[in-house]
Amino acid sequence: MGGPASEPRIVVDAVWKVFGARCDEALAMSREGVGRSDVLEATGCTVGVRDVSFEVLPGETFVVMGLSGSGKSTLVRCLSGLTDVTAGSVRIDGDDVTSMSSSQLRALRRSKLSMVFQHFGLFPHRRVIDNAAFGLEVQGVSKVDRRARALEVLEIVGLAGFEQHYPQQLSGGMQQRVGLARAIAVDPEVLFFDEPFSALDPLIRRDMQDELVRLQDRLQRTLVFITHDFAEAIKLGDRIAIMKDGVFDQIGSAAELIRSPATDYVREFVRDIPKTKVLTARDVMQVGEGGEQRVHADVVVEHLLPQLLSSDSVLDVIDDSGRSIGVVDRAAVIALLEEQV
Amino acid sequence: MTTVSRVVAPVDAGWKRFAPWVGLAVGALALQAAFAGSNAFPGGLDTLISGPIDEAGAWMRENRRSHPLFTGVFMPISDIVDWVVSGLADVLAWIPWFAVVAIGAMLPITRRMYRQALLVAVVMGYVGVFGLWELAMATLAVMIAAITLAVVVGLPLGVVASRHRRVEAALRPVLDAMQTIPAFVYFLPLLMVFGIGNVPGVVATFIYALPPLVRLTVLGITQVPSSAVESSKMFGATSLQTLVKVQLPMAVRSIVTGMSQTIMMALGIVVLIPLVGAGGLGTAIFESLNQRRPGRGLAVGLAIVAIAIVLDRIARASAERDPLKRLAPGAMAGLAVGVLVIVAVGRGAGWVDFPAVWKPNAFDPIDDVVTWLRDNLRGVTRAMNDFVVADVYLPLRDLLVDVVAWPVVVFVTGWIGWRLRGAKLAIFGAAAWLVIGAVGLWSATMDTAVQVLLATLATLGISVPLGVWAGRSPRLESVLSPFLDALQTVPSLVYLIPFVVFFSVGMFPGLIATVMYSLVPGVRITALGIREVPVESVEAAETFGATPRQILLRVRLPLAAPTIMTAVNQVIMMVIAMVIIAGLAGGGALGFLVVESLARSKFGQGVEVGLALVLLAMLLDRFTEAAADRLRPPAGS
Repeated sequence: MGGPASEPRIVVDAVWKVFGARCDEALAMSREGVGRSDVLEATGCTVGVRDVSFEVLPGETFVVMGLSGSGKSTLVRCLSGLTDVTAGSVRIDGDDVTSMSSSQLRALRRSKLSMVFQHFGLFPHRRVIDNAAFGLEVQGVSKVDRRARALEVLEIVGLAGFEQHYPQQLSGGMQQRVGLARAIAVDPEVLFFDEPFSALDPLIRRDMQDELVRLQDRLQRTLVFITHDFAEAIKLGDRIAIMKDGVFDQIGSAAELIRSPATDYVREFVRDIPKTKVLTARDVMQVGEGGEQRVHADVVVEHLLPQLLSSDSVLDVIDDSGRSIGVVDRAAVIALLEEQV
Repeated sequence: MTTVSRVVAPVDAGWKRFAPWVGLAVGALALQAAFAGSNAFPGGLDTLISGPIDEAGAWMRENRRSHPLFTGVFMPISDIVDWVVSGLADVLAWIPWFAVVAIGAMLPITRRMYRQALLVAVVMGYVGVFGLWELAMATLAVMIAAITLAVVVGLPLGVVASRHRRVEAALRPVLDAMQTIPAFVYFLPLLMVFGIGNVPGVVATFIYALPPLVRLTVLGITQVPSSAVESSKMFGATSLQTLVKVQLPMAVRSIVTGMSQTIMMALGIVVLIPLVGAGGLGTAIFESLNQRRPGRGLAVGLAIVAIAIVLDRIARASAERDPLKRLAPGAMAGLAVGVLVIVAVGRGAGWVDFPAVWKPNAFDPIDDVVTWLRDNLRGVTRAMNDFVVADVYLPLRDLLVDVVAWPVVVFVTGWIGWRLRGAKLAIFGAAAWLVIGAVGLWSATMDTAVQVLLATLATLGISVPLGVWAGRSPRLESVLSPFLDALQTVPSLVYLIPFVVFFSVGMFPGLIATVMYSLVPGVRITALGIREVPVESVEAAETFGATPRQILLRVRLPLAAPTIMTAVNQVIMMVIAMVIIAGLAGGGALGFLVVESLARSKFGQGVEVGLALVLLAMLLDRFTEAAADRLRPPAGS
């Protein structure tokens, strides 16, 4: 969970994105608090992203969750420089993406960034291996070196043996593994994911999520992940931002969102989430000590249920160093279960 | 079409509904009364355009060898094109015939397209067997030069247009015009600039062939999924890298479709270029026309189809990007060496020319059949000819040319334009007629318009019912398909020959040839429109117990109406092109004037006729397009 406290890798400061010819006018109106639909009517401009600020730490997975039209895809395009922002700044390792020339931006992308796309964005005219090697190819890496590296990353994502296939000969899940391999082949520090798994079947999607968790454990990169699936957000995100109508309603860890949703909108999403599967002993513990058995703070509540519900016992919650930091009792989990129904 | 918001008028009660019609009738009658007796368009402006152009033509003739415009611009272009064409022709003549066949078949073989390779070899063999080898090689040289030129110009143009919306917007009407304007119109200015010979032929072919290539290049590049382009950018590819490594390879299929269409377009023109002094198979067709030998005309026509097939298959093979279908490099090298050996052996042994086994007179029995039919069906054909010419065409033409006063035509055209789309179209329609009148071509254009009208009605009368039927019956469509393909590929001029034999020179054989030539898009597009009617709509009608007849009349036809109107538009465009060609067979009117201008180098008249033709074509194009729009159900958002 989370990286060590250090300089944030990505700093997004008051970013606005307005689409349309009269975007300056629309921006001024929006800043005065005029609503999205009124701005659209008056200027013909659509406000995609509205005054969004956040930071992402190195090694952190930051998830932006929102429904279609919420502006989340626009936001990730602003971060990666695929779209110009209308106002505000996006700093990656201190360099402002929004004010870069196209050659500076290209240099930044070659050295630090990578992206995985919703519809994979693979090149059907290239073999899997040459898809994976694409980023290195445009950097001018020699054919032998880039193919060696491509083989390496294809192995990592479990596609060894498929390198001579064409993407369209693979299943959807395997195609996105190629997308993933292509993204990590350039050894980026920051990876953007634009709804990478939403086009996949549910089972394959779960596989890919597990794969990503495994990869992230190993590589410890900075990830910005866009999704419309709250369960996916909870599974992958160290922190989650809930986006609606171009604005962040709330930023927080899964437990924070579930425990204290900031708006009704967030509450709507949280409602259907099985809390016992998300919240951990740490989230439900109370001050106290003297439990009969010990349990680690990061264990999800669901695993405690058999013990706590079968007997009237109290569990000691311990941290990494084995120190007791609180207790969980039957009443706490019953309250949680009642909330869920 | 979402931007066009059409105001749906409430249904008026009573007389108001007829007000516009009353206005039309009153206006027309008043104008007719006012101008009766003075039917002819006032002269006096006739030489406004032709005068200066004739002077320019004379000036060009005098200064062709001295003025910098020629010595510095046109002559070098002309020299280069000429050098390329004659070079190609020399090479094709130098290579032994069987080596040409082998080279033609080789490309498909390298992509493992063995059947296509066999087809290429067979059709090239056909060309040789019927003694058309040399002419075919000359045509091939012109085609290769024109298509290469189209690719060299069209591909970059398409790339630029796909990246800059403004360039695309500026280019679109130019491309539209290039395709709407009958090819004959290009001939004269090209003749003025380049003189007689292969060069104006190649350039005319190039101009006609360019639009589909540019269009489909733009389409191909803009259709590359944005995720592919974005991912290329995201990995730091420069825009050139994105173009070369991603966009162009992914657009290849579409570009090749453009190439295929380009080849078809080029073939349509390549038979006509003997009119500007270029050689090739077209000369043989003109000969067959003059000698009234439909059999030989067919033989030559099929040779042109053969060249189309060869070029099309080679283009497709070279565009096959799937490396899985490619031969191993070793096998390819072997193939190349084999071809070189064949060339060397052929040259060494002196087997260069095709040993013509049969002469083109192998098709002469067809001439006998046509002549026999003519002699024995004279009663019927004569009656048909006389009825159409004397009882339909001439009275209608005389009515419009001699009786109806010219302001009435202008007024009615404007009124229709106004009702269809508004003031802009009305002004355009009226202005087009005024210009046509001003250059002194009122009666000739009116004559051509009547021919176009008759040919269009006849074509639609056959092709729409056939298309409706074919759209509902896949079996009929599969039976029709090869015939339609054949009709479309055989050069238009070939159609003229049997009908000229049958009906002798005049307007009627041209009319029939025109109908034959224009049938195909009518049938195809109508069938498409009927087939594309959503299944749910038909099923919904069935659920309510509609009879097949009710489904056709109340569901299929109304829903297919805009597409059918597009078919009408396409038919009219083909009819205009062909009616002009029919001028070669005595169709008279503008067609005759075009041919005369070309033959006698009457530049001024030629340009005026071209202008009148373009205006007539644009007029009909825009009016039918506007009518198609009106038939379209309002678009949702």
